[in-house]
Amino acid sequence: MTIARFGNWILWAVLMALIIGWFGWGGRPQMIGLFIASGLAVGSLYALGGIGIVVLYRATGVLNFAGGAAGAAGAMTAWQLTDWGVWDPISWIACLAVALAITLFYGRLIAPRLAWRETVVKAVATLGFALIILGAVSFLWVDDPRSISLPTDAIGVRILGMRVTATRLLVFFASIGIVVGIWLFLARTQIGLQMRALANDRDLAALMGIPILRVETIAWGISGLLAGFTGLMFADLIRLEPTIITFMVIPSIAAAICGRLENLTVVLLGGLSMGVIENMLTMSPMLRGVRPIAPFVIAALVLLWYQRGSRLTFGGRD
Amino acid sequence: MDRSLFRITRSGWAGLALAAFAIVILPSISSRFWLSVFTSAGCFTIAIAGVAFMYARLGMVSLTQVGLMGVGGWVALRLNYAFDFPFEVNMALAALTTMVFGWILALPALRMRGLYLALVTLMAAGGLEIIFATFQFPNGGDGFWGVQTGSGEAFRRPWIAQSPEAYLRYVIACAVLGFLLIELHRRLQPGRAWALIRRSEAAAMAAGVNVTLYKTWAFGIAGLLGGGAGALLAGSLGLLDDGTFRASESVLVFALAVVGGARYWQGAVVAALLYKVLPPLLNNWGVDADLAYIIFGAGLLHAVITAPDGIAGQIMGAVKGLSRRKERADA
Amino acid sequence: MRYGKTLGVATALVTLTMAGQAMAEASCGMNTGEAATGDPIIVGGIYGDAAPGDWSSSTDSAAAYFACVNANGGINGRPIDYRVENDQWNPESAAQAAALLVNDTPTVAMVGNGSFIEMAVNANTYEEAGIMVMASACAISECFETPNIVSTNQGPLPSNLGAAQYAVEELGATHTACIGLNIPNNGIWSCGAVNDFMESRGLQGTSVLINPGAPDVNSALLEAMASGADTILINQPAGIALAILSAAEEQDLRDQFIWIAPTPLYDLSVPEAVGDYWDGHVYVNAELAPLNLEGPDAQNWVAVLDEYGNDDDPRDTFGQAGYLSARFFVDAMLEMDPAQLDDRAAVSDAIRGISGYTSDLMCGPYYVGDADFHMPNHAGYMVQITGGSFEIVRECYEYDSPYFEPHRALEAELGLN
Repeated sequence: MTIARFGNWILWAVLMALIIGWFGWGGRPQMIGLFIASGLAVGSLYALGGIGIVVLYRATGVLNFAGGAAGAAGAMTAWQLTDWGVWDPISWIACLAVALAITLFYGRLIAPRLAWRETVVKAVATLGFALIILGAVSFLWVDDPRSISLPTDAIGVRILGMRVTATRLLVFFASIGIVVGIWLFLARTQIGLQMRALANDRDLAALMGIPILRVETIAWGISGLLAGFTGLMFADLIRLEPTIITFMVIPSIAAAICGRLENLTVVLLGGLSMGVIENMLTMSPMLRGVRPIAPFVIAALVLLWYQRGSRLTFGGRD
Repeated sequence: MDRSLFRITRSGWAGLALAAFAIVILPSISSRFWLSVFTSAGCFTIAIAGVAFMYARLGMVSLTQVGLMGVGGWVALRLNYAFDFPFEVNMALAALTTMVFGWILALPALRMRGLYLALVTLMAAGGLEIIFATFQFPNGGDGFWGVQTGSGEAFRRPWIAQSPEAYLRYVIACAVLGFLLIELHRRLQPGRAWALIRRSEAAAMAAGVNVTLYKTWAFGIAGLLGGGAGALLAGSLGLLDDGTFRASESVLVFALAVVGGARYWQGAVVAALLYKVLPPLLNNWGVDADLAYIIFGAGLLHAVITAPDGIAGQIMGAVKGLSRRKERADA
Repeated sequence: MRYGKTLGVATALVTLTMAGQAMAEASCGMNTGEAATGDPIIVGGIYGDAAPGDWSSSTDSAAAYFACVNANGGINGRPIDYRVENDQWNPESAAQAAALLVNDTPTVAMVGNGSFIEMAVNANTYEEAGIMVMASACAISECFETPNIVSTNQGPLPSNLGAAQYAVEELGATHTACIGLNIPNNGIWSCGAVNDFMESRGLQGTSVLINPGAPDVNSALLEAMASGADTILINQPAGIALAILSAAEEQDLRDQFIWIAPTPLYDLSVPEAVGDYWDGHVYVNAELAPLNLEGPDAQNWVAVLDEYGNDDDPRDTFGQAGYLSARFFVDAMLEMDPAQLDDRAAVSDAIRGISGYTSDLMCGPYYVGDADFHMPNHAGYMVQITGGSFEIVRECYEYDSPYFEPHRALEAELGLN
């Protein structure tokens, strides 16, 4: 088992090196550096979204399509407050608070009503919620070119010949820090233990007297905060458009799939690899046009790889 | 219980009656606007029937049905501009190609169930969205992708259905054929195999059912219906645009299939009406397009929470309740 | 160039005389001051307002102008019943809107249309129905290369050419990288024309295409850098253009390139949104008169909106274009035989007969003509983002490109140049 997992890591490293080498062949090393750095930035956003999805899915069994929409609502609130001249840190906190409130609202009031439905139906229900948020946000803020900027945008360092802002570094290190933090949380705290129990077997955990409601609420809360943070970072780094932020959830799910919806480290690496590969495709004249397809193809291949050699199994739930 | 192949159930009669109404009366009382709306709804009824059937019979969730429609539409458009085939040939080839595409999609899905299967299809939908956005739909240009700047001649419609009225009738007739195809399968060998698989894959396999074959088959049928629907949609508009085939639309279509009630044919019709007729109605009532999203999402949540069998299930329940009450009153 | 200069002078004179005056009264159509009461003449319009963007400002302005006309004697006493539909950026809704307005309703013309997809879906419908569309906010080739659509705005192709030409002539550009959307009738079409223009001047042009579904623009920016260009032409809707500028700001690329853009960036909220970093470094082509010019039509448009529009109707370029389309349409209707006002074919002929209409909002004359292509507006201004707003750096100038040869031939035929 350990060897097999080790093998996967080596395979991943070799594949990444091959892909970068293949597409980067003949290109200027500095350009390759730029593409990798740029890819890591996008990749960390995919990963952040994926982490939020996985944390929630493991603890509650809900695959949340509405995380992007909650982030969009938060980012638009932050923009509005900044526009009204509110002190910036308050608007950032408001972004987190709005995303948290929206997510908790769903987690406490709507999700329990679907607790016994199929996983897929639960996922589809969150899509309904995402539509409501997106509709409300688009109604409140008419489409207009907007942007949001953080003080970290002004600070920059040169890496691989490219000026990288502190915001990008923040996202990159935050995604790593969040993975470590959540891992510690799950491993060291009682709530974390209960969350793991819930992820393993909900019915048994309930029988054992684990306070499901409390544990689930905390999971929804964590995912809400992550959604708000991801939304704010996305708005700053990529674009402040509610629709785009809302549907960012689909590549995030691709990153989550890489970690089989459970392993946060793999989600992180998967998200980063997707970003890098997507950017490296720019170097290929043929594949340049379809580069956003990379996350989906990678996720599908990873799923196939996980399934290799296994036969149809009958036990357990989905 | 009569199990003969050609027996028409009460629900079947209701369906045929509705189809007769839709073919004979609906087109003649509709304006061009409503003809166009109903034709779209008809096309999507077929596609939704495919996704609902997979969900109801096998518990398989496909989040890429609209993407499959796009594949069918692409093939039909490409053939239309490359050759002089009549519409029916284009549509049949498009449906068959999409069926094969469905099989290919089913390959990774064979070992997966539930959420993972849904996610594989979601990834497919995301990929198709990018491909459609990048390469667009053929409009009479040269080369493999067949795209030129500006629009070319419109896609040829079937010669018996040139006018919008006739085309609506044609689409409804195709939808009836689609439902009959599903019902036929349900009553024959595959239907029994699917029922067994739905119960327990292990039991099915033990009973000698080729699970792989029948699951793939189901995917193929969903692809066939999606592809045909895509070709019909191309005929309705004369061209296709990638905006119709976003991944989010595929997810929405599945969601609406659940809302409508996947187990009943009425469910597919209700879902298509919600998807294509409700938005123009809201628009006519002056509801902001953004607010329509909210109504849509709230309706979806409400239906998912309170009506596991969908709206069609509620209707059926109400009808049954009525007839029972009537029987009691008669007695 | 010729009429550009005279118009520029005329505009300046008018601005001088108008300066300090109180806001003008709205002046519309027959200007009788009496409400029209006859049988309404039905006119349609389609706009797109849904998730990616709100393109309703052209129909808003057209509606305000028609309301003003109706309050001022209408068309020989008959009011205009202006009916607009939202295509919701959805091809099926667009087809349905046209079915409703063109097939189900006896509209005589479509005026003020503003959409990204409607024209591609409905170009054939309009041709079959024999109806003329005087569009105002167009972005795709079908608006300019089909027989029944004529647009007041320029769309990306001429505006790109204007920006590129300015960059070559005034800023010393030698190699443009045009960052466009990977859509055949939008980005590929309009960037291709820029590349042709650059080649015709013995220079170099590269297209860099962004997939509309891709959220991240940085890789496209890097691709543009990798092409070796010295000028970056941001041929994008304002939202994506802002994203590109902020990605460039992050990497501090401002001084390595010349930054130019077509009209979508000419939006009064843009200078604030791009921030101080870009102050004085972004040049934008404006396809209609910049909003700070106060010619008679510019003032009348604002007066009409104030008096007959809603407070939140946008005062932007597309609004100007909507006003202009409506004004030209009304002028053409007033010249018609009053008995034929309900005859779609006669109205279409009248619209095709439009020639030599002028306005201070447009650099050149407006005409339609009987052709398979229509692009009356191919001269514009160049403005620079500076001090939190826009400043004109080049007055009206004709765009010089092989693309316009058929248009010039048509103008010569109509006696316009």
